[in-house]
Amino acid sequence: MNIRSYVNLYELLKITPSTREENRAFGITHVMLKNRPIDQLSAWIEEHKHRLKRPLLSETFSSYLYRVTFILVLIAFALGLLTGIGLLSYSGREPVNVIYFIAVVIFFPLFTMLLTFLAMIRASSSQNVLIHLSPAFWLEKILSLMPAKMEERLQTFQINPLLTNWTIIKRSQIIVLFFSFGLLLALLGAVVTKDIAFAWSTTLHITPVALHDFLTILALPWSEFVPAAVPSLELIQQSQYFRLGERLNEEMIAHASQLGEWWKFLAFSTLFYAIVLRLLMFVFVSFGYRRALERSLLTLKGTNKLLREINEPIISTHAKRKESTFTPNEKSYAQIVNSLDASYDCIHGWAIPYKKLLLLGDSLQIIAPNYFEAGGTNSFDEDAEIISKSHGEVLLLVKAWEPPTMDFIDYLNDLVDKVDKVIVMPIGTKKNGYDASDKEIDVWDSKLSVLRNMKVWLKR
Amino acid sequence: MIATHPKFAVVGHPNKGKSSIVATLALDDTVQISDTPGTTTKRRSFPLSVDGKVLYELFDTPGFQRARRVLAWLEKHDVPAHKKPEVVEAFINEHKEDERFNDEIELLEPIMEGAGIIYVVDGSQPYGEEYETEMEILRWTGQPSMALINHIEDTDYSDEWKKALEQYFRMVRTYNPMKATLEDHVSILESMAQLKEEWIAPVKASIKLLEHYKGQMLERSALLLARLVYDSVSMVEKHYFYTQEADDEDKEKIESNYKDRLRDLEISTQKGIEEVWNHGHLNKEETELTFEGMDLFSEESASVFGLTRKELIITAATSGAVTGAGIDLLLAGHTLLLGGALGALVGGTGAYFGFNELSEVKVLGQTMGRRYLEMGPMENRNFPYILLGRAIYHTMKVAQISHAKRDVFEIEMDQSFKERWLDDTSRNALEKYHKKFRSGKALETGELKEYEEIIKKILKHLINV
Repeated sequence: MNIRSYVNLYELLKITPSTREENRAFGITHVMLKNRPIDQLSAWIEEHKHRLKRPLLSETFSSYLYRVTFILVLIAFALGLLTGIGLLSYSGREPVNVIYFIAVVIFFPLFTMLLTFLAMIRASSSQNVLIHLSPAFWLEKILSLMPAKMEERLQTFQINPLLTNWTIIKRSQIIVLFFSFGLLLALLGAVVTKDIAFAWSTTLHITPVALHDFLTILALPWSEFVPAAVPSLELIQQSQYFRLGERLNEEMIAHASQLGEWWKFLAFSTLFYAIVLRLLMFVFVSFGYRRALERSLLTLKGTNKLLREINEPIISTHAKRKESTFTPNEKSYAQIVNSLDASYDCIHGWAIPYKKLLLLGDSLQIIAPNYFEAGGTNSFDEDAEIISKSHGEVLLLVKAWEPPTMDFIDYLNDLVDKVDKVIVMPIGTKKNGYDASDKEIDVWDSKLSVLRNMKVWLKR
Repeated sequence: MIATHPKFAVVGHPNKGKSSIVATLALDDTVQISDTPGTTTKRRSFPLSVDGKVLYELFDTPGFQRARRVLAWLEKHDVPAHKKPEVVEAFINEHKEDERFNDEIELLEPIMEGAGIIYVVDGSQPYGEEYETEMEILRWTGQPSMALINHIEDTDYSDEWKKALEQYFRMVRTYNPMKATLEDHVSILESMAQLKEEWIAPVKASIKLLEHYKGQMLERSALLLARLVYDSVSMVEKHYFYTQEADDEDKEKIESNYKDRLRDLEISTQKGIEEVWNHGHLNKEETELTFEGMDLFSEESASVFGLTRKELIITAATSGAVTGAGIDLLLAGHTLLLGGALGALVGGTGAYFGFNELSEVKVLGQTMGRRYLEMGPMENRNFPYILLGRAIYHTMKVAQISHAKRDVFEIEMDQSFKERWLDDTSRNALEKYHKKFRSGKALETGELKEYEEIIKKILKHLINV
């Protein structure tokens, strides 16, 4: 899991390369990763990475990060080297004051480590001032202003502020570490190539004993293993340097050969405070960075949904096959009867019992010599007999609420072959006073339109 | 053919609500439903499956069209009761290519392949003897069956229907797909399980799964809603301009862009919610998100190296303080920390006065600074509640609407709803997160999840699934 995984996931979630079904299939085939979301995400990224546009944004981004870090590391190393050379420059006339060097290799690292701690505590804030102090932040800003230095895709890429902060914190450790390597190299180089007389000097009233006690505390981490790298009280007394006064000449000249002994303390101070502690800091930051990376992955928009899709069983209730679109017949039936005659040659009732037919005829004030119950529980022979007895104009009463079936259409077709005219009249329920609703009549209207028979009329 | 899982064919007279029942039981709003008979022309399978494993299968079928002719054909064969299903099989085989019996074949085939029969009638219309033909045909198939009395209209003829249906079916149940709750759904499934002993276990497992499914829907809804509020509240709209000061046009532009983005977020979340609840085809009417009474301030600003004036001042002041503190340290504090204080003052003041000039400086042909208007994160404390209230109301309505509903669905929130969903406890719990969303800080891993849990609790209380 690294920054490339984050960028790949960011890109993959934008293009949604897999369906819910595919994600679930992935979850089933990678069941051993269940309850390990980061591992699941890593494996999922690997499986779908090939769908991303080449060159991968993650590669471009990490190569950009590498280039920026490399430039910064080189600059920091050169700066460290130059600072070391500057601090140890020795003309032969005046000794080199170790206080400056101690400040740079002990107090500067301790101070920047304190800042790092504070930056880590505030890392979740997108406007972290301590992050803005880092050279890594500023160099990136400068590089982003340079034309054609960054790809367009990189400029639109939005990285989680938490991850940005931790990336800068981590890279700052590497940069400062190389600054310290530069310092150490400068010290070792100066010691090897020059005979430097070290001394200590300060305007403050510090006695050699107080300084010795202080330096002994600073040298505690290595005093057991390398006692020679702890300055003795004698050395401190002998190497105290005053710009004015007689003591310089007598003391220092008498022990000139011993003044160089300071280099061991300086070398171990650099090694421990500027390098070992920084390395430990780097390891510590790396843990924080990894945690931030995991947090960023899990809070990336779409991750939660993806993990659900991987882990939750797909419950489906849908039809697999798409239904063919039904287009209702919108045409209105042209053959409409608005009022009924007083009498007809026959009254047929489709699935309407004979007694009810009589009642309906009476209610509608229509008379007819013959009333027949068709359809319903009749046999086809009975229906055929009814048709054979029918002639002239037939009023065919139908239950308005029952949609016309093909059984009815078959009957109607047979009937129109025998008679001159058929008026289909939908009848409503008793509760509705036998009035059919417009909606119900529309259904019959639609069905008769399909029939297209000139003998068939609809009563509206 | 032996059925590997329970199958149920929903059959009946045309236009009696078979498809509505199937749409509701299958939670599928793609089923074509209309007042026009004959909408369903082919049988359609609706399997309830978990990770591809089918637990039970429902069939929506066309209605009987020539029932009397089918029964007449069957009755021509004088066979003992146990041979009757074979006659039905023979009918299917003989008339497979006969277009006249297309609908009957479509509905009889799944039954003869082992599906239980769910015979649907409309209890809001009077009983008619002609239905007996259909029931008789179904009796010939020899398959376990039950009847469902649907209520398309408000009138009620259930009693006469029950009396008739009980002559033919072991079980007669009433079910209104337009008003059915999860309990009704489960109750119908339990009845279906009773049709055959070996179906009890798989259908019971299906019921459990269905309840789990509803839980999943709630969780996924809560996730979408949490994301909507977070994205909306924390949203920042920037509008760059290239003059000394932003004019009214710039201000209008940023405000309209900001509002449009918020509305788009709401619309896409609603779409997501509708898909979660299988209402992807919902035809709805709703009032647009408004921003009345909300002061949406756009702040004019500029940046140098991506830092705002405030950030640059703080950065410069801190850098100055650090440098000064170094001097203080070298002098062992004898400067009374004056170095740090002076450094901060010089750095901060320099950045304050030099910001505009610095933003105009050109490096490699590009100015170091850019001027822009910025709107967001949303400072209005009521906004997240308004947005969340609307989203919760929409989710509640979508979750409760029948999958058989096809007419336009109006989502108009009544004033009393706010009191129903937001009590003091919920408000306090939500406010903590709204404050965080407004701050623009990166979220902790579990924070959005915790917020989602609160929303889920509210939804669960309101939707009652």
